[in-house]
Amino acid sequence: MSATLLGQSVLSGIFSGCLYALLGLGLTLSWRYLKIINLAHFAFIFLAAYLTYQLAGPGGRPPWLVLLIVVPLFFALGVAQQALLDHFKVDEFASIIVTFGMTILAEVFIQWIWSADFVRLETQFLRGSFEVGAFFLPKQEMLMAGASLALCAATAGFLRFTWTGKALRASLDNPPIAASYGVPGQRLALMTAGAAGALAGVGGAFMALLFTLAPSQIYTWFGVVLATVMLGGLGSAMGVFAAGLLIGVCEAVTMALTAPAWAPVVPFTLLIVILVLWPERV
Amino acid sequence: MLSLEKLDVSYGEAAALTNVSLELADGEIACVIGPNGAGKTTLVNAIARLLPARSGKIRISGEDVSGLTPQQLADRGVALIPEGRRLFNTMSVEENLELGCYRASLRSGRAQSLDEIYTMFPILRDRRAQKAGTLSGGQQQMVAIGRALMARPRLLLIDEPSLGLAPVVITQVFETIKAIHARGVTILLIEQNAAKALAVSQRAYVLDCGAIVAQGSPAELRARGGINEAYFGHGG
Amino acid sequence: MGAPRKNYAAPAGIGAAALGFAALPMFGAWPFAESFLYLLFFWIALATSWTVLSGYSGYVSFGHGAFYGVGVYATANLGAHVPVWLCLLAGGLLAACLGAAAGLVVFRVKRLRGELFALLTLALAIVLGTVILNTPIDGGPGISLMAVHLPRIYNNASSTVYLLGMLAAMASLAAAWAVQNSRLGRGLFAIADDEDAAEILGVPTLRFKIAALALSAFLAGAAGSVHALFVSYVTVGETFSITVPLFVLLMSVLGGARRWYGPAIGAVFVAGLTNLLVGGDWALAARALIGFTLIVATLYLPEGVAGLIEHKFRAREKPEPRRAPMPASANDNAPAPAPISGAPLLRIEDIRLAFRGVRALDGVTLDIREGEILGLVGPNGSGKSTLINVISGFYRPDAGSLVFAGEDASGDEGHRRARRGIARTFQIPRPFRRLTVLENVVVAGEFGARGLDHAAALACARELLEFVGLAERADALPAAINLHQRKFLELARALASGARLIMLDEVLAGLTPSEITTAIAMVRKIRATGAAILFVEHNMRAVLALADRLIVLNQGKIIAQGGPRAVISDPAVISAYLGDDDAQP
Repeated sequence: MSATLLGQSVLSGIFSGCLYALLGLGLTLSWRYLKIINLAHFAFIFLAAYLTYQLAGPGGRPPWLVLLIVVPLFFALGVAQQALLDHFKVDEFASIIVTFGMTILAEVFIQWIWSADFVRLETQFLRGSFEVGAFFLPKQEMLMAGASLALCAATAGFLRFTWTGKALRASLDNPPIAASYGVPGQRLALMTAGAAGALAGVGGAFMALLFTLAPSQIYTWFGVVLATVMLGGLGSAMGVFAAGLLIGVCEAVTMALTAPAWAPVVPFTLLIVILVLWPERV
Repeated sequence: MLSLEKLDVSYGEAAALTNVSLELADGEIACVIGPNGAGKTTLVNAIARLLPARSGKIRISGEDVSGLTPQQLADRGVALIPEGRRLFNTMSVEENLELGCYRASLRSGRAQSLDEIYTMFPILRDRRAQKAGTLSGGQQQMVAIGRALMARPRLLLIDEPSLGLAPVVITQVFETIKAIHARGVTILLIEQNAAKALAVSQRAYVLDCGAIVAQGSPAELRARGGINEAYFGHGG
Repeated sequence: MGAPRKNYAAPAGIGAAALGFAALPMFGAWPFAESFLYLLFFWIALATSWTVLSGYSGYVSFGHGAFYGVGVYATANLGAHVPVWLCLLAGGLLAACLGAAAGLVVFRVKRLRGELFALLTLALAIVLGTVILNTPIDGGPGISLMAVHLPRIYNNASSTVYLLGMLAAMASLAAAWAVQNSRLGRGLFAIADDEDAAEILGVPTLRFKIAALALSAFLAGAAGSVHALFVSYVTVGETFSITVPLFVLLMSVLGGARRWYGPAIGAVFVAGLTNLLVGGDWALAARALIGFTLIVATLYLPEGVAGLIEHKFRAREKPEPRRAPMPASANDNAPAPAPISGAPLLRIEDIRLAFRGVRALDGVTLDIREGEILGLVGPNGSGKSTLINVISGFYRPDAGSLVFAGEDASGDEGHRRARRGIARTFQIPRPFRRLTVLENVVVAGEFGARGLDHAAALACARELLEFVGLAERADALPAAINLHQRKFLELARALASGARLIMLDEVLAGLTPSEITTAIAMVRKIRATGAAILFVEHNMRAVLALADRLIVLNQGKIIAQGGPRAVISDPAVISAYLGDDDAQP
């Protein structure tokens, strides 16, 4: 195998990794801070992707304008979902089942509106690639990777440096004591769920930009993204980014060196290795 | 400042506190002492609105606060140093302190308050970036005290500050409590270590089996000898 | 569960149903009905196999795709070479081996949380699928089973598949029923509610979890082996799809995962809907209905349809208040009362344990003698509860030894210590919340030092409930009884185990004065049965009234021991409690 080919594989692995991180970011927040394993996050991503496909289709609005609609909409969806789960005091385990039910409903909804067939967003937005030396850097992927890094970094910074971020972490460590210092736990939870929903919206827009869509594709992302989230350490925004990159690059190299079909083993092998070496990590 | 009228608290059907009345004047320091399991922590959690009261009133500066949320109580200038410190363990020392002045009205004073705490406990300045959960017990207690002071409380509730600390550290903690009181903060101190608590208090209550069994000035209580009865079940 | 007598109506029903379904093809059932029924059977088998592990023990597996997949590929690879029944057996056994191996690895991960187990089993399915795809086991394009020779029972190969599917379903149901009514099942239910408490009561939790996982995998593997014959062309994509374990989970939760027949109800509903309503909008509507039902059922029916049915049943057949025949003496089953012989029953030596650098126990050495009540007191945080946790085997000390009844038990796990005769109560009672009061005590009798069989454990539990005054509440759930009753339930559990050493962790805390009087009388009665008691208590009056000897712990060290009155006059003790500022109040 030539160095160029391997290099190009690593590059594509980096791009996949950035996407895993982008899709996992909202998930890791709700898992850690809300104790909700939100499988419906994937449904939100695909709803947003189809919405983007619809609004930004041929002759439609530019994708960045679509974001202005999608982000607030999915923020609201996240808030509504959290309000429901909170109302019923859904625990971590039940959250898997309830949100899986929501995922099925979303899948049905998508299939009802857009059919079970594959669809592809046709857009002139950022077509083509930069060429750097022997490597190709597709513009759409570059934008996605940039957005992923920016959002992960912004989330990490928000959690670390702002009053609200600190309050959220304090609420996680010790809810009653945080409340006794004036932290409004419930409102922060709704806000976190909204942020996770908005992140799903952004992820969905990029999903539409980069991939062919079908309702059944919702389930194909479960495994690798959950592995990314766990590998990154729950609730850690930069952790999920690093884990995404690690998994993406390992996958790409594995594919290049063996066969593409071996890729699914990579994230879980990494996860198990990490779990055996540092059991307290996850 | 603080007055409890016939407070009843229960866990499910089990009564934890019965008919507890207590008065604390502005600027006073009083203690509630009693053996383990007497209901001391229940009492302080009920005042801090972390536990609901079944009946009775809790008044702060005359206002009935029995129906308020913990957040609203914080707005009334009440801060709690809970039993066992209960820091935000995964956060740094400085972040723990900052959470003390989370409320919007306090945030502008953050830098100054931090400076005061660091002057009071210089070791915390050196450890400011360390995770609170990794500190020694004594240092954790300093953070807990500092966090409460960051809220610039008028009424400070301190629950078992001596718990799990070495004797020399306990002495330091009580020195600190005296100093805080000297600055004009009203303090309700909950403590098992009767001798230490009585030494700093102006008024004392003895709690046993969820009820106040004796009260008065420390000197009176020592003279009456009801404390040994509560602790050991026999006369001194 | 918890039927007082073994009720064989269920297995008889399963057998009758099997015969009835087996006879169906004789009446020339048409192909659609045959394949429709087969699909119901298949999902019943798979969902029921899942519940044997996940429903009973609470460890949710997403790995049933893997176990089922092993079965599928066993048939796909062996079918052309060996008889079909051997394929089924091989599929089941291979899956069971995989399950046991996976269990040995994952259940040893420290503090394995439920969702971690779920994801690790999901990982197993995905890794296994990928391996099969990339090796000659599949190779990529999938495997056709056209070459498999099927015995024709009704002159028709498809009827044979139907019969095999039916057998798999009935076998799973029978296995689930048997486990639910066995020692294994009762252990698993205890694990689901409180694994630590189960271990302390003597349930060999690790072994039981692995056994349940292996059995569950066996049943799933067998179902997969049959299903390969039905689909007749197997691919990795279909077999290892994540929707398989998710649908199994859905069916079980919907039907009621804690009853052997629950998953079957869910399977019939879900598989029935998806296979009756096929094509276009109908299929879509069926899926929507399933998704919606799943949400509503989780929010409103935490115990599924089966739970609902049983609650209705229980409410209807109000049992007349049962007056159990008063036992001649509650001590019949207890070892003969032993006088305080002075022989040490338990000796711990130089126990040290530190948490994050804080010394919780700092070189504790003590003896507990046969038949005595040893009081253990000390200020908050002095290490009393930690010491109990060390003796019961919940914490592993950093150093030190523990000798019980003359044998070194330092290396024993919790359930081994329970079998030796060490029992404890919890300061905040930890009953198994979904077992009745009676069943809670039965677990202790069955798994404790006596190791009674189920019938004897039941009889003993009834006697003990009478003894502690809970006979009237035998069929209530722990949530329905009050704190002091729950404390007495803890006592009954400790007694049922037949322990020679009972550690009472603040049994009096939170009780009213009159309840305290009752409780003290109870402790005296327990002592009269001959058990030694380690009595940890804050209430000094009670300690003085009960203890033969007193030990005072402070900062993880013993600071005084001896006769109770002498000990509490010790200046070191007074200063530990009241402070040393001016220790004479």
